[in-house]
Amino acid sequence: MCGVCGIVSHDDPPDLALLRRMMGRLGHRGPDGHGYFRDRRAALGHTRLAIIDTSGGAQPLCNEDGAVWVTFNGEIFNYVELGAKLRHRGHIFRTASDTEVIVHAWEEWGEGCFSRFNGQWAVAVWDRRAERLVLSRDRLGVRPLFFIRRPAGILFASEVKALFADRSVERAFDPAGLEQTFTYWSSVAPRTVFRSIEQLEPGYYAILDRDGFRKAPYWRITFPDRGREPIQDAQENTEALRDRIVEAARLRFVRSDVPVGAYLSGGLDSSVTAAVIARYTDAPLHTFSLRFSDSEFDEGRYQEKMSAVLGTQHQDVTVSRSDVAAVFPEVIWHAESPILRAAPAPLFLLSKLVRDNGYKVVVTGEGADEVLAGYDLFREARVRLFWSRDPGSARRIRAAELLYPWMARSPGRMPAFARSFFGRHLDPDDPAFSHRPRWDSTSAIKGMLSHDQQDAIDRAAAEDVVAMMPPDSKDWDPLSRAQWLEMTTLLAGYILASQGDRMLMANSVEGRFPFLDRDVVDFASALPARHKLFGLEEKYLLKRAFADLLPEDILHRPKQPYRAPDAASFFTPERPAWFEAVMAERAIAAAGVFEPSLVTGLMAKCERIGGENMSNTDNMRVLAAVSTQLMHEYFIVGGGYGALEWPLPDPSIAVDLVKDDRSVP
Amino acid sequence: MNRDIVEQILREYDALHRADTDPELEAVRAAILLEDVFGIALSDAEIDPAVLADSSAVAALVARLQGAA
Repeated sequence: MCGVCGIVSHDDPPDLALLRRMMGRLGHRGPDGHGYFRDRRAALGHTRLAIIDTSGGAQPLCNEDGAVWVTFNGEIFNYVELGAKLRHRGHIFRTASDTEVIVHAWEEWGEGCFSRFNGQWAVAVWDRRAERLVLSRDRLGVRPLFFIRRPAGILFASEVKALFADRSVERAFDPAGLEQTFTYWSSVAPRTVFRSIEQLEPGYYAILDRDGFRKAPYWRITFPDRGREPIQDAQENTEALRDRIVEAARLRFVRSDVPVGAYLSGGLDSSVTAAVIARYTDAPLHTFSLRFSDSEFDEGRYQEKMSAVLGTQHQDVTVSRSDVAAVFPEVIWHAESPILRAAPAPLFLLSKLVRDNGYKVVVTGEGADEVLAGYDLFREARVRLFWSRDPGSARRIRAAELLYPWMARSPGRMPAFARSFFGRHLDPDDPAFSHRPRWDSTSAIKGMLSHDQQDAIDRAAAEDVVAMMPPDSKDWDPLSRAQWLEMTTLLAGYILASQGDRMLMANSVEGRFPFLDRDVVDFASALPARHKLFGLEEKYLLKRAFADLLPEDILHRPKQPYRAPDAASFFTPERPAWFEAVMAERAIAAAGVFEPSLVTGLMAKCERIGGENMSNTDNMRVLAAVSTQLMHEYFIVGGGYGALEWPLPDPSIAVDLVKDDRSVP
Repeated sequence: MNRDIVEQILREYDALHRADTDPELEAVRAAILLEDVFGIALSDAEIDPAVLADSSAVAALVARLQGAA
């Protein structure tokens, strides 16, 4: 796992000093070394977290004759198999790294190489023969890749902060990006929350050459038509799913030249991945967990149980509300987006625990909820669909009690709540039937926007994600449509970004996600919906597939979504000084995103109640306001957090064809 | 959906049956599953523990409603 950056220039040779500043801002992603390549048209930079071929895999790296160069962040887990094929076809390798496979794969298969990769990547290939830059990103957006297009060329980088190393880059929020964030929880690629900056869509490659800039997908999230799934037999699918998950977890554990640990949340998904590693590999397993001083969020009992069952060396970190508040500014600096939950902050502290214990790779259960249908949202949608068939039915309305047992214990409150939450947007033909209540609820944040910001949003007309749905999705199962929306919005934009890559890489730790393996995702997408959500039983097939490896109380415990203390974190007696500064009325007015009086009114209300028992809406409003204010401070005003650039030691690779050979074209 | 698959699904449904909860609520849980998997619609009278508690009765109900669809 690493940081990548680069410049392609149509006129003067790329500015090496700028490339160095960009690499300096990606130092946390690659503290083990850095390198660069430059010719008259392009410069590639790389900061390295050495994991595979630690002695020989320094980047940027080239092919046999130096015509193709690559800078690469990520892992190609099937690099051994692809390398064998490429050697058979005559390619000569100098290293044992997965990076070199990319170079030769590009030579051999061109754009067709990306669909052959099974991994997580953000990569830039510079083909000097054609003066062609190729950017590519993995299927689901595990690794980030941002860029700025302009008449003089292109700038790209793993993180936005590296692009802002170019002082000529406009620093402004993109109203449409904010609109998406305050609806879907994140901007949707190619948009970002910054006006001048784009991100490459997951599953895409982009090309910049003499014919200009263009991009295309090499893979799409897709599902079979309902009833036309290739395998209907549950047992056959159970065994095949198990085989794929075992292989995906095994590959992610053994294809590393440094030790790999595992997260253990106490839930089903991370228990499965840890159990598979413990069963199918020989190495001792070190597991890491997050605990909370608030018992409401703590899953320590299950973590300890699972660790004991697997016999792992286990460590945890306990996070309090004041811990969340203390690290929140650094979290936003790394997340590079407003966030509506504080949940990334504890994950930042967890990756620090991993790093402090000498590990730089962890396997986690991320992606199972999206790929195998674990979220409450999917169950809620099914209940709402059931209810929509006869909204007046006294029997059907009771279905809400199956989602939330407290309703059964508070029958007096049930009908009113059920009607208010589930009783809206009940058009079964709506492609976004599953997501309307969430989007509706999130959009309440927009009630706090300043008039100017609201006007800008209205003028910007952000893309509606529903319009991006494939035409054939009308024939998919409703669960498949919900999965598509979840994977396109929340997974790529928030779970894998603000909660994933950014919180891991902030502490120089690589996450590996077996449930997002190419073969697991393709197989799971082709399953009948009932094999994922059977009635209201979530991740049905996953539970069947690994029933022998997990204790009963882990296997059958009710789903507990990962949550952390939210707004309450900012209303404790230990509140850090930064809060007063960024949330002052004049600071809110200066940022211009929110109406100052509405934000200060909300803060006063939270102050009065000490952040306790706040509504979901107020929680999100507080998080949105605080994180947006910090974003403004760090990225728009431009102060950044702490030292902007890491000191770079001598580079491992330093190829400067402009300086070394003036005759090089 | 062929008969073998229907029978398999009904066996799987039977294995999930929870005896320790409110029978009326269990009938609702079963109705959600049956409507989703088999593409049928149950009347309020059919969302009833007496109708949905027995697997052979459920099989007959599904066959009848699928036949009517």
